[in-house]
Amino acid sequence: MSETWNLGLKLLIITAVAALALSFTNYLTEGPIEEQRIQANMEARLAVLSYAKDFEELGIDDSFTGGDYIMELYRGIDEGNKTVGYTFKVLAKGFGGDMEVIIGIDNEGSIDGVRIGNHAETPGLGAKAADEEFVEQFGGKSIDKPIQVKKTENLDDNEIQALTGATITSEAVSDAVNLVMNYYNQILSDRGADN
Amino acid sequence: MKLREIFTNGIFKENPVFKLVLGMCPTLAVTTAAINGIGMGLATTFVLIGSNLVISLLKDFIPSKIRIPSYIVVIATFVTMVGMIMEAYLPELYDSLGIFIPLIVVNCIILARAETFASKNPPIPSIIDGLGIGLGFTLSLTILGSIREILGAGTWFNMKIMPASYEPALIMILPAGAFITLGILLALINRFTTKVD
Amino acid sequence: MEYFNKLILLFISSMLINNIVLSRSLAICPFLGVSKRVNTALGMGMAVTFVIALSSVITYIVHYAILVPLEIEYMQIIAFILVIATLVQLIEMIIQKTSPTLYGALGVYLPLITTNCAVLGVAIMNIQEEYDLMQTLVNGIGVSLGFTLAIVLFAGIRERLELSDIPEHLKGFPIALITAGLMSVAFMGFQGLIK
Repeated sequence: MSETWNLGLKLLIITAVAALALSFTNYLTEGPIEEQRIQANMEARLAVLSYAKDFEELGIDDSFTGGDYIMELYRGIDEGNKTVGYTFKVLAKGFGGDMEVIIGIDNEGSIDGVRIGNHAETPGLGAKAADEEFVEQFGGKSIDKPIQVKKTENLDDNEIQALTGATITSEAVSDAVNLVMNYYNQILSDRGADN
Repeated sequence: MKLREIFTNGIFKENPVFKLVLGMCPTLAVTTAAINGIGMGLATTFVLIGSNLVISLLKDFIPSKIRIPSYIVVIATFVTMVGMIMEAYLPELYDSLGIFIPLIVVNCIILARAETFASKNPPIPSIIDGLGIGLGFTLSLTILGSIREILGAGTWFNMKIMPASYEPALIMILPAGAFITLGILLALINRFTTKVD
Repeated sequence: MEYFNKLILLFISSMLINNIVLSRSLAICPFLGVSKRVNTALGMGMAVTFVIALSSVITYIVHYAILVPLEIEYMQIIAFILVIATLVQLIEMIIQKTSPTLYGALGVYLPLITTNCAVLGVAIMNIQEEYDLMQTLVNGIGVSLGFTLAIVLFAGIRERLELSDIPEHLKGFPIALITAGLMSVAFMGFQGLIK
C-alpha cells in the first residue's frame, strides 16, 4: 500500500509543478492575448467601416428574427461622438460549416465593407471568399435592395458575381449581408437619423 | 554516441516522418503551406527539447510504474506553454494551426523520444536529441508544405512563384493531396535509399 | 424538433462530411497501423467508438464542473489527456474482469488508443464548438463511427492490394497513403450534403 501512496504522491508532485509552471505562463501571456484579440477585432471593424474613429458595443434587438445569427453589433463614432455607421458580425452557414462575416453599413445607407473572419470553407474554392477580390464587390452597394448572387458577368447594381465552384459560400456571404440590411432598415435606421 | 551523431541521427537516419513514419496527423493536416509546416515543426521542436530535458533530469525521480502518465504531464505542460506563447505573439500562425497545437501532446514522436532516449541519457545529449529529431520533423514538414503550396496554390511562403498561366492543382492543398504527396515522396525515398544499399 | 434535426445534421456531418480521418487528417496512426485486416480494423473501430463516446462525456463534465469554476482552463490539455489515459486503463481492467470475450476482441487495441489523437481532438473540439452535453455525445459517436467506416473500408482495399502486383518501391506505406488519398477524394463527395 505504501508503494501506491508513494507513486500517487510523486505523480501529484509532478502535476502540481506542471500546474504552477502553467499558471505562471498564463499570468505572463494573458495580457498580450487579450490585447491581441481586442486589436484584431478593432482592425476588423475598421476594415469594414473606415470613417469610424471608435466603436461602442450595442445590444442586439431580440425581436428581430430571420436567417443567420448576428453575434455582435457596434456603433461606429467619429471624434465628436457622432454616429458614422454600424458594424455587424454575423455567423453564417457556409459550405464547410460556420463562417464569420463582418459587415459595415455607413450613414448614407450603403455597405462600406465586408470581411470574412473564421471559416471552414474549402481551400482554393470557398476559402477565396476571404480574398479582397470577392468581398470588395459588396463595397458601395445600396441597402435598399437585397443583393443577388449571379454566375454571369453582366451584373446589375445589386448583384455580385459568385465565386467559381463555390456558389453556396457566395450565397452564404450575401445572405449575411442581406440579413444585416434588414436589421439596419427595420431597427437602426431611425436611430441613425436622430444623431 | 557523439553529440554530433545524435544530432544528425534525428535529421536523416531516424527522420521521424520519412523514415519512422511517425507523427502523421500534423504532418498531413497542417502542411497546406510551407509556413505552417515550419511553424508546426518548430513548435514541436520546442516541446521535444523541453520534455527531453525535464524527463532526463527527472529520470531517477520518476518510478517506472508511473512513467507514462508522468511523461504525458510533462509533455502536456510544454504543449500548453507553446500554445499560450503562440497565441500571444504569433496569433495568425496560432489560428492557422488551430487544434493541431494541443494535439502535439499525442504526437507519438515526443513520447517515443522520452521513452527511448531521454529516460536513459543525461541532459545534454537529450537536448541535442530533441533538437535533431525536432529539426528533422520541421524539415520534412517544410518540404511537404512547400510541394503542396507550390503545386496547389502557385505560391511559396506566400510569394507568387508559378507563372500566371499555371492553374493551381487544388487537390494538393486538400487532405487528399496530403496523402498522395506523402505516398509519392516515401516511394521516391525508398527508390533512392534501396539503390544505395 | 428543431433541436433534434440539429443533432441529426451534426451526426451526419461529424461522421461523413468532416470525416475524422479523411477530411480532418486525425487518427492517422491507427488508420495506417491497424488496417491490414478487416477484422482487426473493425475491432479497433469498436474500441475507439467506445472510448470516444465515454471520454467526450467525461471530459465535458471535467471541463464545465472543474476547470471553468476554478478558472483554470489552461489546465485543459493536461486534465483531458490524464482523463483519457486513466479511462482507457480503467476500461481495459473492467472489460478484462467482466467480459473475456470482449476483452479478447478489443484488449490489444485499448493501450494504443491513449495516443490516438482523435480522442483528445474530439474532446477539445466539443469544448471549442461550445456543444452541449447531448451534442457532445452525438458528435463523439458520429466521429468514431466515421473512423470505423473509414478504417474498415481501407482495410478491405488493403486486403485486395496484397494480392496485386505493386511496383517494388510503392509497397507498404506509399501505396497505402495513395489509396487513402483516393478515398479522401471519394469522401469529398459528401461535402455539401447538408444545405
